[in-house]
Amino acid sequence: MVVYSFYIFDRHTECIYSKSWLPPAPTASSSSSTAAATTTTAPGGPTSDTHPPLPLSTTTAAAAAGTSGRRSAPTASASSAADNDAKLIFGTVFSLRNMVRKLGGEDDAFVSYRTANYKLHYYETASNLRLVMLTDTATLSMRNVLHQIYINLWVEYVVKNPLSPVEHKGGAGVRNELFELGLEQFIRGLM
Amino acid sequence: MTIFALIIINKAGGLIYNRTFHEGLNKVSTNDLLVLAGTFHGVHAITARLNPLKHLQGAGGGPGNRNSTSSTAPSAHPGGSSSNSAAAGGGGGGSAGSGMSAQQLYQRPDPPSGLEVLETENFRMQCFATLTGTKFLLFTDTTQANVDLTMRRVYDMYADYVMKNPFYQLEMPVRCDMFDRKLGSYIREINNR
Repeated sequence: MVVYSFYIFDRHTECIYSKSWLPPAPTASSSSSTAAATTTTAPGGPTSDTHPPLPLSTTTAAAAAGTSGRRSAPTASASSAADNDAKLIFGTVFSLRNMVRKLGGEDDAFVSYRTANYKLHYYETASNLRLVMLTDTATLSMRNVLHQIYINLWVEYVVKNPLSPVEHKGGAGVRNELFELGLEQFIRGLM
Repeated sequence: MTIFALIIINKAGGLIYNRTFHEGLNKVSTNDLLVLAGTFHGVHAITARLNPLKHLQGAGGGPGNRNSTSSTAPSAHPGGSSSNSAAAGGGGGGSAGSGMSAQQLYQRPDPPSGLEVLETENFRMQCFATLTGTKFLLFTDTTQANVDLTMRRVYDMYADYVMKNPFYQLEMPVRCDMFDRKLGSYIREINNR
């Protein structure tokens, strides 16, 4: 079982917490720069690279040009990409939830969906707090896990925290030490 | 063990077939169902894009994959909707120009990788997207087994009695007596098992 990422959305549809356990994304710039380096330094020798060497020299030049232009702000683009992912996930989950309610009745609840590459688990509390987790496809239902995260971590460390605001605008009060630590330990224990 | 309903959505997101076999789902008006089909079509495309492993797979992909990532953006991952990826592949070939090898030309697009199974408390929905973008949605109860097989049979019937019907117009609502009858008897057999 592998957990890829975890998101919490509040009742105002804002993403107030997100965490990813994926290896830090080798951004397009860094991967293409390594490819360019291997092709320039060892053009004749057998490359240890897994992908076949590019037949076009123009492509590598273009990639190299792209890296120099893009290298300026890799962290900013990575964070905005994560931001966009969160928005897409919320949109998907929201549409599916409404669809399920229309078809299965008001009391029906959307639990999970699976694609060829990943599985998304969903849990919504009575106060419209939404917990979303992305895992690999072989994972069984994680509904109880999300429920446990809600009771044992969210309620204990965020709701009962006297310093935490009622509304978590921009994720205020969620990223405290205990919650982070508890979540990390809980997920590591599952994997 | 029950199959509730079958919905077929064409590649543009339009509802072309809808049939209920068993009580269990809410009654939904045709208008709402049309909206639902369109919504699902969009969501399906987004779920294919959301793949958390896309940058890992993108780095280790084939030459066609690599070409598209270097020429455009990493977000243009082949395997969105099938029509999208085909268009992206064609564009990449055009920009690369003369150096295109035969191997790259004959690469097939990745099969559509969007939502396949949706689970809720009351039902399960299996989605099968063909390479041409038509989507078959089968609504079953949560314990139904072997839906893949059923889906396969439904697709066979669609190929036999809809696509081979000379009066059927592509992308238009399915009105084929033969298909209705065969499908009805096949599903009845499963529901009575």
